[in-house]
Amino acid sequence: MTTTLEHATPDHPGPDHGYPEHYEPPRGPYWRLFFGPGLVRGVWMALAFFVFGLLIVAGLRWWWGWDPILHWEVIAAVAGMTTAPIGFLAGIGSFDYWLHYIVGRPTRPEDHSGHGATSWKDYFRVNTDHKVIGIQYLVTTFVFFTIGGLMAMLFRAELAQPGLQFVDPQTFNGLVSVHATLMIFLFIIPAFAGIANFVVPLMLGAPDMAFPRLNALSFWLLPIAGLMFVTSFVVSGGAFGAGWTGYAPLAEGQPLGQTFFNIGVQWAGASSIMTALNFLVTIITMRAPGMTFWRMPLLVWANFTTSLLVVIATPFIAGSQFFVMFDRIMHTSFFVPDGGGYVLGYQHIFWFYSHPAVYIMMLPGFGIVSEVISSMSRKPIFGYRLMALSLMGILVLGFSVWAHHMFVAGMADWLRVPMMITTLLIAIPTGIKVFSWIATLWRGRIHLTTPMLFALGFVTMFTIGGLSGIYLGSVPIDIAASDTYFIVAHIHYVLFGGSVFTIFAGVYFWFPKITGRMYDERLGKLHFWLTFVSFNATFFPMHYVGLRGMPRRVSDYSEAFGDLNFAISIASFVLGASFVVFAYNIIVSWVRGPIAGGNPWRAHTLEWQVTSPPPIFNFDEIPQVVGGPYEYGVPGARHAVMSAAAAEPQEVRA
Amino acid sequence: MTAHAETHDHHGPPLAHQSSRVDARVLGMFLFIASEAMLFGSFFTAYFFVRVVNPSAPETWPPEPYHFPVFVAGVNTAILVTSSFTMHWALQSIKRGERRAFLAGMVLTFLMGLAFLLTQVVEYIHVGFNTGDGAFASVFFGLTGLHGAHVFVGLTLLGMVIVRGFRGHYTPEHHHGVELPGIYWHFVDVMWIVVYAAVYLI
Repeated sequence: MTTTLEHATPDHPGPDHGYPEHYEPPRGPYWRLFFGPGLVRGVWMALAFFVFGLLIVAGLRWWWGWDPILHWEVIAAVAGMTTAPIGFLAGIGSFDYWLHYIVGRPTRPEDHSGHGATSWKDYFRVNTDHKVIGIQYLVTTFVFFTIGGLMAMLFRAELAQPGLQFVDPQTFNGLVSVHATLMIFLFIIPAFAGIANFVVPLMLGAPDMAFPRLNALSFWLLPIAGLMFVTSFVVSGGAFGAGWTGYAPLAEGQPLGQTFFNIGVQWAGASSIMTALNFLVTIITMRAPGMTFWRMPLLVWANFTTSLLVVIATPFIAGSQFFVMFDRIMHTSFFVPDGGGYVLGYQHIFWFYSHPAVYIMMLPGFGIVSEVISSMSRKPIFGYRLMALSLMGILVLGFSVWAHHMFVAGMADWLRVPMMITTLLIAIPTGIKVFSWIATLWRGRIHLTTPMLFALGFVTMFTIGGLSGIYLGSVPIDIAASDTYFIVAHIHYVLFGGSVFTIFAGVYFWFPKITGRMYDERLGKLHFWLTFVSFNATFFPMHYVGLRGMPRRVSDYSEAFGDLNFAISIASFVLGASFVVFAYNIIVSWVRGPIAGGNPWRAHTLEWQVTSPPPIFNFDEIPQVVGGPYEYGVPGARHAVMSAAAAEPQEVRA
Repeated sequence: MTAHAETHDHHGPPLAHQSSRVDARVLGMFLFIASEAMLFGSFFTAYFFVRVVNPSAPETWPPEPYHFPVFVAGVNTAILVTSSFTMHWALQSIKRGERRAFLAGMVLTFLMGLAFLLTQVVEYIHVGFNTGDGAFASVFFGLTGLHGAHVFVGLTLLGMVIVRGFRGHYTPEHHHGVELPGIYWHFVDVMWIVVYAAVYLI
């Protein structure tokens, strides 16, 4: 829990304590390779902790006389997915500082050796620099985005024709489930966390996050979760196939792979709770002087509300997965009717997280789009305060709508209409945002750069997804459309046309800030148009096949839907291929794109007032904020004075 | 932010501006506790479903022929609640610079927490049913087990404070390392009162 950008913790009186300042005796390079913090130590400590966990399980089972002593499902859960990851985290050095503290050794004065990156190797270790962590997040999430996308193309190949061609039904279910799980827990949520990690402290005028070591730890939990989801394919019985929703009691009869989902979600959830806590504390306690809440950029507001959602709601998915795991491994009966369990309880607990989770996957995108649209149309955000308040409105309402996922689940009838009303009410704050963006564009000097194209693509596609959401929120239509491809179309319009478009917008928008180089605008536009067209060609027909009655989550279907599904599959391959343009553009531009300069978009927020990439500690001097963040074209208005020495008017104005 | 270093004799970050009166670590602890309370909330929701919502909920609690050791758990409750007071005493003592009282308070708190946890282990052994004996047992072991895990974490934190306390690492000016585990320990105690009331009493 200690926060240290500065020297030591205040509990420790300081170097005059009688302890020598450095305890590490000089060691050779091999000693440091094997025993110093790093991936090598991470690997052998993971193995050691696996053996440790295995011995605990085997030892206890032997002690109690249970048979078999080597119960592999339990060993996988305890040793493989709990102790081994802890060993890995300890090995790479996530806990070094805290362990020193716990055993009572004086904490070392912070020498900032874990901060910043001078070579590519610094991205593969525990790094406390929020900018490095932001890049670690983004690269990791895009790797998992690629894996999840390839899975989607694999099952689209299966769905191109009726009948079974490439995979058996259980593998198909596994592919669909892991695809959704990766996209949600390993791409959309953490990609937003990555962008925010890089940008939010800069926007606030803070030198780093409030808890840099916690920040580093929460990143490293993420690849662990991702690895669990992906490796579930290799265990006996294949990957978890109960969908990303993992409904009980279906999930409780699944093979071993389901445990990988149960525990992987815990790691991903812990990661996002810790990050959210860090954002909240940073935003509350580390704003630059003059940065009142009503002067914060909307991206900061968006991450503030999202983080509140995460801290409050995420424990519920942790609970739901604990219960399923206990039912599977410890023979409890939380959701087993024979033992007196309540089956529907799973869906209530699960959706009490997972409906707020769709706002966790959307609100940061709202923030990104507000930044992009305002600076690319050179106008102040229309209704800035209402934009912030509508985020809070979505936050509050978001907790009161979960049961609209359960209209056909057999829940209490009286719950339907209240949940329908609250669901439809969410259209109001969301509508406020859409109209505000349109009003911001109105008579602006619009620059159709790639991030702006993605932002505009988001506004249109998200509106379509939002409208089908209103259809599905009303009970009669939902009953008709439940479990059809209409749902698949809706979810992809809000999560791909919505969230993923905003992530692309954000990555293009801050690419020059993150790398110091400019991406290729021509390739960026090509990427946008390919994505936009093939996205619609893929998902728009799904509305139609859904309303015609094609069920989702099936590997085989009626001949009547064959032609449309063939067309959808072809479009989805184009959509997959469009990502290659993005990857090529980003990688090549990162290596040898033209130098971008500090503020290529002439934006006003603080991150653009420093060099690209930003200096190692963000600011030489904490800036003084003097006005709102979006005063484009307002004579004499400025957001911040960067340093007392340079208080002369500078080019913060558009 | 700690914001305790006044000078920069090395190239370090600029001092962050403290934009709130609340200390970052205390705020972080409270947010963490909010999250923890919601985790307990999910377990209480499961309890509520099993005991109230479920059409086949048991008529008596616990269902015949099982019994919860209400009295033993009640004594245990008293022990845990007392430990909250000794924790408070320890914190007040270090604030006043009374080191011996601080250490005595911490050790007492730790021992009472340990006594609580061991009593619970013994209770599990003699309670007469196991996790596989129905949904009432699931929520019993779920809630008390989740709480027990929190007591374990709390004891680890207290142990940490004791080790550093005996090394003289806390002063009247610098006692955040006592205060934060203390907040957590109070949370664990309050949570137990709710768990005890829900599972054993009503």
